[in-house]
Amino acid sequence: MLLPTTVVGSYSVPEWLERLKTEYYQRRISAQHLAEIHEVAIKAAVKDQELAGIDIVSDGELRRDNDVDYFLARIPGVHIPQRAKTDYFDYYDAEVTRPLPEQADSPETSLDLAADFRFTRQLTQRPVKFSFTGPFSLSRRIRDSAYDKPGDLVRALARRLNAEARELTAAGADFLQIDEPFLAGYPEHVELAVEAVNLVTENVDATWALHVCYGNRYARPSWEGHYDFLFPAVKAARVDQVVLEFARKGLDDLRLIRQHGWEGWLGFGVVDVKTSEVEPPELIAERVRRVLEFVPADRLMINPDCGLRHLAPEVARQKLRAMVAGVAAVRAELTGGDKS
Amino acid sequence: MDVDLRPVKKLRESAAARSALGPIIEAVCASPADLSRLRLVCDWIQYKQNFREPVVSRPISTSGTEIAFDLRRCSDIDLEAGIKHALEDPGGLALEPWVPGRDSCIWRFNALYWQALSDWEQATGQEYEQSLPGGESDARNTEAARELILELFRIWDELDARRALPDELYVLELGVGNGNQARTWLDEFVQLDRRHGREYYRRLRYLMGDYSAHVLERARKAVEHHSERVSALVVDATRPGITLGFLAGKAFLVYISNVYDNLPADELACIHGRTYQVQTQAFLADDDADHIAGQANVSRPELPKVIDRLLRIGPELLSESAPGQFPDTRTAVGFWRAAWEALRLRERYVPLEGLDSYQVTAELTGEILRPLIEGDGDVRMHVSNGALSSLTGTLPLLHPFGRVQCHDLFLTGSHQYRTGFYGPGKYDGSVVNWVNGPLLQLVASRRGFAVRFTPFRQRPGSNITTLTAQARD
Repeated sequence: MLLPTTVVGSYSVPEWLERLKTEYYQRRISAQHLAEIHEVAIKAAVKDQELAGIDIVSDGELRRDNDVDYFLARIPGVHIPQRAKTDYFDYYDAEVTRPLPEQADSPETSLDLAADFRFTRQLTQRPVKFSFTGPFSLSRRIRDSAYDKPGDLVRALARRLNAEARELTAAGADFLQIDEPFLAGYPEHVELAVEAVNLVTENVDATWALHVCYGNRYARPSWEGHYDFLFPAVKAARVDQVVLEFARKGLDDLRLIRQHGWEGWLGFGVVDVKTSEVEPPELIAERVRRVLEFVPADRLMINPDCGLRHLAPEVARQKLRAMVAGVAAVRAELTGGDKS
Repeated sequence: MDVDLRPVKKLRESAAARSALGPIIEAVCASPADLSRLRLVCDWIQYKQNFREPVVSRPISTSGTEIAFDLRRCSDIDLEAGIKHALEDPGGLALEPWVPGRDSCIWRFNALYWQALSDWEQATGQEYEQSLPGGESDARNTEAARELILELFRIWDELDARRALPDELYVLELGVGNGNQARTWLDEFVQLDRRHGREYYRRLRYLMGDYSAHVLERARKAVEHHSERVSALVVDATRPGITLGFLAGKAFLVYISNVYDNLPADELACIHGRTYQVQTQAFLADDDADHIAGQANVSRPELPKVIDRLLRIGPELLSESAPGQFPDTRTAVGFWRAAWEALRLRERYVPLEGLDSYQVTAELTGEILRPLIEGDGDVRMHVSNGALSSLTGTLPLLHPFGRVQCHDLFLTGSHQYRTGFYGPGKYDGSVVNWVNGPLLQLVASRRGFAVRFTPFRQRPGSNITTLTAQARD
């Protein structure tokens, strides 16, 4: 299919779910009940995406409090002194005081991401994208007193995630995405981040995407700037696709794709997730036409700029529907087919 | 009977406050009130001009009554008569139906004060700054300006090194006063920029926003020598995004001084585990109503309509439209001032059926209040709706490395509501209300901003507190 549509990862977290997540930390509901609530919410999120016409769906990352804690809380050797939270979305304070144990030394210490994938897989006939936060971004939320060189913590995290990726593919996952939401804030570390990405993807037989944005904490960018820092370093990453934001920032950075000869796929962000204003399909279509001047249709995937977590459910649904409609119009122009 | 003595500091300091307690209890016990359904609240109202009589009663839905005393004024009044009067049909001339505090006409009076400030100032013969405590605005100090500017330079240098510095560097001031703060800040900026050598002044865009065109014009003159860098905009502080939407994500500094205490606010209360909204009704006491109506040559039943007209069109147009009653603007301002001076609020507690049914701002339900209102027993607190709306509308304007700095009357801990009175009161022709700092902190935190409060360094010992908000994580 030309121009397949997908999501970046997270899906709208309704206010009631936010409240229940926080109530778990205030010991008002049990972990078991929260797990069941998450499963119901994930089913609804997958159904929403299907109804909107999204070609490749995700679990909406609805089990995760934020982009970091779900992983840090499960990685052996990462110490979290205080697990109580005032609000579920707050970050944990995490520290590493000794080098992380290698997964090969304790195979029973899986992060169990494969179980999350299996749950989603049985919900839908559509292809599933499974995303997780990359080693560089995870490392930025850890106080490190274990490693002499900061890069060694990133590499250790990457090896741990590589083991998870293997389990994921063994469970049937074939489209995996590494999210690096913190990288734009530390452009001087892009080579280290790419090195770590290659450790994660090493010998894992899947289609790999790498998502780099300017942050989406509380629906605000954490940094500003251009994707210049990413190129040409990202060309050394063993990934099939880069997933970048363009809707909010404008299309200027498309020049980098041509300038640096990026030969992989582009996950093209056409929906601004930091505003509740729903882009009309015509605008989406126009953006897609613009990107076709830089990337051929057979190397394009269409997605929102970033996760939909901070959008109200109805807004998220409308944005996805508009995205699908806009893409359908361009697809029809390319193939001479039906626009619906 | 519950007895709630709030002004704990005054009880230690003031013999008059202490000595009023015995007679208050005596008088309450001598009244016909059902003591088993009675709450007795004692405050110390620090504002000489305020909206309350020394003794007032407040129905608590159908479950009881609260009688509130202002200890400051109780020592020389007939308490028994005061209680009797408070418990009877209070009479007076109502100017509005029962409404939540933020919808009261006191805020229309407040808005008129800023819109027709020059008329008010001409009538009183003093500029509004002179009516502030200490006779001047709190926000002008070279040292404080230098500190902020150097911090901006540090951030801009860093962004510049990463090629992430925008061409235009925005600074926004909300509530500009007479422009002295802007002038001090900009003059200092020029000097420091020269020394720094990066020519940031050339890229600076200093936006002055104020509700009052009159104030804005005065401020603009004060910074005339920076006119190429300065723009002046009429801004509704409670909805900054409407005028300043173009600034989203661009402001490196938003400076706000003495604005939030002057914005509409509701009050909520938790009594015996149940949450109530405090509803208010503005009125004029009978004697005041008769006097003002007589002076204005209108009948008493007509008076609310004339006041409403004043609030809609201001004193100048009121005079033009009713020259028989108000032959010139000065007379109309006199009418305005008399009505304002006599203005009182009565209150009642109305049960709130679920916090989520209460809308704090257009985007925020009462759920956000839960940790504060249901956390720790009985409390009555400001919701500070106007300030919250302003802050939540301002935060999206910030660049990721931007900050809000705000000087105002902030409560910095919820416990303070149990130990003092924090408004509303009257300052000259405007309303003053302390701002619920912990609530602002909580809401900002849910939007990813860390808020901290520090004493206002430029005037030690003042009630002013500095709020700083910056992105966290």
